[in-house]
Amino acid sequence: MVNEHLLDVIMLIEVGLLALAVGLFFLHGLWLHFTARRVKRLSKAGHEALARLVNRGHVSLEDVEALKAMPPDIQTITFLEVSRSVSGAGKERLSFVAQQAGVVDRARLLCHHKWWTRRLRGARILSRLGVPDPLVQTLLADPHPAVRAQAAEWAAAQPSVEVISSMLELLADPATQARFAVQNALLRMGNVIAEPLAAFLETHSGRSAEAGLRVAESVAVPGFLGSALRHSRADEPGVREAAAKLLGGIAGAEAGARLMEMLGDSESNVRAAAASALGRMRYWQAGSLLAEGLRDQRWRVRREAGLALRGLGAAGTLFLRRALKGDDRFAADMAEQVLELPEAAAG
Amino acid sequence: MNQHIASLVNDLLIKGQFAVLLYFLGVNGWYLILLVSSLLELRRHMLLIADESRHLLLSSTLSPTISILAPAYNEEATIEVSLRALLALHYPSLEVIVISDGSKDKTVQVLIEKFDLVPVKTIYERKIETKPVRTLYRSSTYPGLVVVDKENGGKADALNVGLSFARGELVCAMDADTLIEQDGLQRMVRPFLYATDVVATGGTIRVVNGSQVKHGRVEKTAVPTNLLAGVQVVEYLRAFLFGRLGWNRLGGNIIISGAFGLFQREAVLNAGGYLHDTVGEDMELVVRLKRLSYEKGGPGKIAFVPDPVAWTEVPESRRVLGRQRDRWHRGLADVLWRHRRMLLNPRYGATGLVVYPYYAFVELLAPVVEAVGLLGLVFGLVFGVVDWTFAGLFYLTAYGLGTALTAFTLILEDLSFHRYNSFRDRALLFWWALLENMGYRQLTVWWRLRGLWKFIRGRKDWGVMERKGFQAVPTAVKSPGAAA
Repeated sequence: MVNEHLLDVIMLIEVGLLALAVGLFFLHGLWLHFTARRVKRLSKAGHEALARLVNRGHVSLEDVEALKAMPPDIQTITFLEVSRSVSGAGKERLSFVAQQAGVVDRARLLCHHKWWTRRLRGARILSRLGVPDPLVQTLLADPHPAVRAQAAEWAAAQPSVEVISSMLELLADPATQARFAVQNALLRMGNVIAEPLAAFLETHSGRSAEAGLRVAESVAVPGFLGSALRHSRADEPGVREAAAKLLGGIAGAEAGARLMEMLGDSESNVRAAAASALGRMRYWQAGSLLAEGLRDQRWRVRREAGLALRGLGAAGTLFLRRALKGDDRFAADMAEQVLELPEAAAG
Repeated sequence: MNQHIASLVNDLLIKGQFAVLLYFLGVNGWYLILLVSSLLELRRHMLLIADESRHLLLSSTLSPTISILAPAYNEEATIEVSLRALLALHYPSLEVIVISDGSKDKTVQVLIEKFDLVPVKTIYERKIETKPVRTLYRSSTYPGLVVVDKENGGKADALNVGLSFARGELVCAMDADTLIEQDGLQRMVRPFLYATDVVATGGTIRVVNGSQVKHGRVEKTAVPTNLLAGVQVVEYLRAFLFGRLGWNRLGGNIIISGAFGLFQREAVLNAGGYLHDTVGEDMELVVRLKRLSYEKGGPGKIAFVPDPVAWTEVPESRRVLGRQRDRWHRGLADVLWRHRRMLLNPRYGATGLVVYPYYAFVELLAPVVEAVGLLGLVFGLVFGVVDWTFAGLFYLTAYGLGTALTAFTLILEDLSFHRYNSFRDRALLFWWALLENMGYRQLTVWWRLRGLWKFIRGRKDWGVMERKGFQAVPTAVKSPGAAA
């Protein structure tokens, strides 16, 4: 019925495949075991030398020689492991010794590699060691988003004017991964970004402006007011929403007046953001408009308006009580829910 | 005349057997493609995460808030440990919502006492119709903890209530007995940060049986010695590491394990939440989200993260396992039937043309074909229509190739996460991989056929799941390093 020879061939192939699989499986296990032992054995002296460097602030010539004598792969592993638990002056010393030991030079070479995976590795090593190498800054323009994202992570610890302006240009990066990393890095830089970011917001619009406004919200200095007001009239709802949130952070009469106008925006997300911002500012002048917001068609706007009114204190509570007795059952329902909230939820 | 009928039956039997052989050849060929695809995907993933500083990037204030939805029904014995483990997860912006689905035991009382719960009022939008909520609690010691006490309505209803109360942009649906790795959420959220079209992510679920668990965490991984649990370790590895991961490149997934998945809350609410009248509510939701993304636009990518992010206890008794597999297969049949419009429909892109047909013709119908093949083989041998050479060929094609592919899955695991390191674990894994096709797989064929039959008859019950409980770590356990 079936050629026996065919059966033998198939069986042979399958047995061969199984033998190959089991061989690879166990050999890889052995390799993992011996690699772990080798790393542990060879990195021990390096770990001790680096611990002395970090804890005591000095490293002897012998230590540097010992570090240099380590195999390159072990050297890199050791430096990266130690870098996880040090910061500040300790990290600077670590970075200095990494340069002496050749780790940095090898990472720099990787940054030039034609494969993105190697460039990523190079950028990761330099980031983790906190090496202020301008080469990493050039990787902000790398064709691969993972490399750009890594370069952005490095940049968070190097807040120079050039770095910040390169980073701001990446706020409109087409890759979400890189965009997220850039926004995150800018946030980590803190107040130093305020001035260049304000200038950036003056000249940019669309997606990059939206990302910039979201970063600006965390700093929210008055210098952003002009840009926030301008962007609050943008065509894109996402930009207007981000501008509303920023205006809420900046606060003041001008911001409050514009936010009151935004309560009439055609997009519900913008109206909700404006109501929330007014509540955050405790802008009592917006009381009657927020009470109108309780009648909004969208639940989210009604909720934000209700919470904002509660945030206004006695005046807001009065509006809520009025809504409770009003003819709009949606407004009354929301007012009732807000008034029943415990004190802790008021803010 | 009789001779003519006999020859016709013989002919039919032989042709049928060859058809079954061809089917298995095709299926195993497709598995090979999936294996290669997952190898490429895994390599890319490992390169991306090597030496990554997740704590810097993912502990950002920009990270989306995640609301964990943990339905609980009569969990008074385990709820405290499970919840403490959830509250200790490493994620910057986390909310945990426990939904007691009309528990008849002291689940809610235990929670009130152990977590200082106080009844509160809150504002929430009831977008989905659910059973009434009795009381809502917040913890005065854990700001991110919300407990909902509601009337019994089933898991789907509990998850829908959780969805209404959740504040996070992302919701994490999980089973009450799932153990999540401490950085599991950071790993799972990655696809949402890296692409805007992702609507849900799933991760690799591992079998916890045999491993040591302490305070809701897996302390020491080990392969179980119990036959059923051991074989399921191999089965889970294959299903996740090359099954689902491979699909990332070949048209996307349509399954996310109900034990642990991450979803865009708004998308789930807009889709109407979880369905009540199905036993495969987790798969149904994923397929619906995918389908809606084609019909109405919006995000529709289902990403799979190969990292081992959660652990689950698998049944060690044949009876319970049988009920589980029967239910899974009923769920699959139900979901595929509900969304049959997608089958081979170009409107649904790769999902309609590749993924859906695979699930229909391979996952759903495989037990039928396999049963026909096995029965035909037995008949053929008994009546002398087929010889032992053919039987050998049948076994090698149907099962031998599968065993070889499973063995290569073990290598995939070893090349990537290598959680099973000892010689004992390796030997056991390989042993279970060999044994899987000698009885266990044939049993699953029977269970799945039973599921299909029940589906045809319209049965939608869950059956009782019994759990043994996690093996606690002895107080003086040596870490692997300490043993050396």
